[in-house]
Amino acid sequence: MSPSRISACARRGTARLPAALVLAALVLAGASASAEPVKHLKPEDYSSRIVAGRKGRVLVVNFWATWCEPCREEMPSLVAAAKKFPARDLAVVLVSLDSQKTGPAQVPKFLKAQKVPFVSWLARTRDPQDFIDAVDPNWDGSLPYTLLYGRDGKVAARLSGLQTEASFTEAIRKAVGAR
Amino acid sequence: MKLPGLAPAAFATFATVLTLGLAAPAPAQKPEAPKIGAVAPDFTLPPAAGGAPVALKDLLAKSKAVVVIFDATKCPYAKGYKERVATMGKEYAGKGVTFVTINSNKTEPAAEVAEDAKKHGFAFPVLKDEGNKVADLYAAQKTPEIYVLDPKGTLLYRGRIDETHEDPKNVKSPDLRNALEAILAGKPVPAAETKAFGCSIKRV
Repeated sequence: MSPSRISACARRGTARLPAALVLAALVLAGASASAEPVKHLKPEDYSSRIVAGRKGRVLVVNFWATWCEPCREEMPSLVAAAKKFPARDLAVVLVSLDSQKTGPAQVPKFLKAQKVPFVSWLARTRDPQDFIDAVDPNWDGSLPYTLLYGRDGKVAARLSGLQTEASFTEAIRKAVGAR
Repeated sequence: MKLPGLAPAAFATFATVLTLGLAAPAPAQKPEAPKIGAVAPDFTLPPAAGGAPVALKDLLAKSKAVVVIFDATKCPYAKGYKERVATMGKEYAGKGVTFVTINSNKTEPAAEVAEDAKKHGFAFPVLKDEGNKVADLYAAQKTPEIYVLDPKGTLLYRGRIDETHEDPKNVKSPDLRNALEAILAGKPVPAAETKAFGCSIKRV
């Protein structure tokens, strides 16, 4: 999969679709998640492979790890929040900071079990600080951490720590609305 | 509720109201971390295994430096460093440096912390921070997260042990060890702040 296919957000129905049909479509979209192998991401490739892949959309990048309890806890909230926005407005990508030893097996296993419809990259770095600083020097390294990029590619919001569906939705709505 | 019959505009309004109604309160501001060069807060905590409470000021009074480590029993990152912490604790005790670990996780009871410390041969105070009060005082967020203090309680180093939890034989950036060697030599710490990486502290 190319970096441009990083969005896996379900589309919300158009104005002509009845709401029930829309809800049914959302459920089906969520159930179509598959366990794709993770792609490895070097710190120096973060901007070109992740941020540049947004193609004029708002981009949510969620940094997580399978060993991170609040990361696992908030994942359904991110999935639910993302489904409220059409794919033409929003792209979502995950970046795991699992280790190179366990991540390639653990990350797809978790995403499949939880039916998470997003692609996850795996940070390829021996030193987490190198990766953290390359992504955002303001990030203290805590997980989970979520960056929202506006359509212009600039950081629109930083969400540190456990989020809720409401807090994800609010942050995305602000970024999407600021055309 | 007649969702299917709602006009798009009404549905949007409904969704907005619902969203606003469910909006979580703004997350609490993180407490400010002690600054490098400032005096870190004193604390007194009970040992996880029981016994008399341990006061930081008493440890400072008998040490050339005190290494405060926020630790965990289940976190894979903290587990990856257990052997190094035990080894360095013993090694630096002979040089006048006191190690102390603090477990602030609400999910890890004192008995479990004591058992874990015994299993790994921690030969220094292992304290339980019920209610994560000391973690809050220090604005500690992760395990393992390190604070090194001089005898006056001045913070000289904050951050990580080194850059790899899973490859102890190939450490390239032994940040804690570098800090301690500099302090014992009376020199400035080369990298006084590094970014700790690990599990978040499970707070009440």
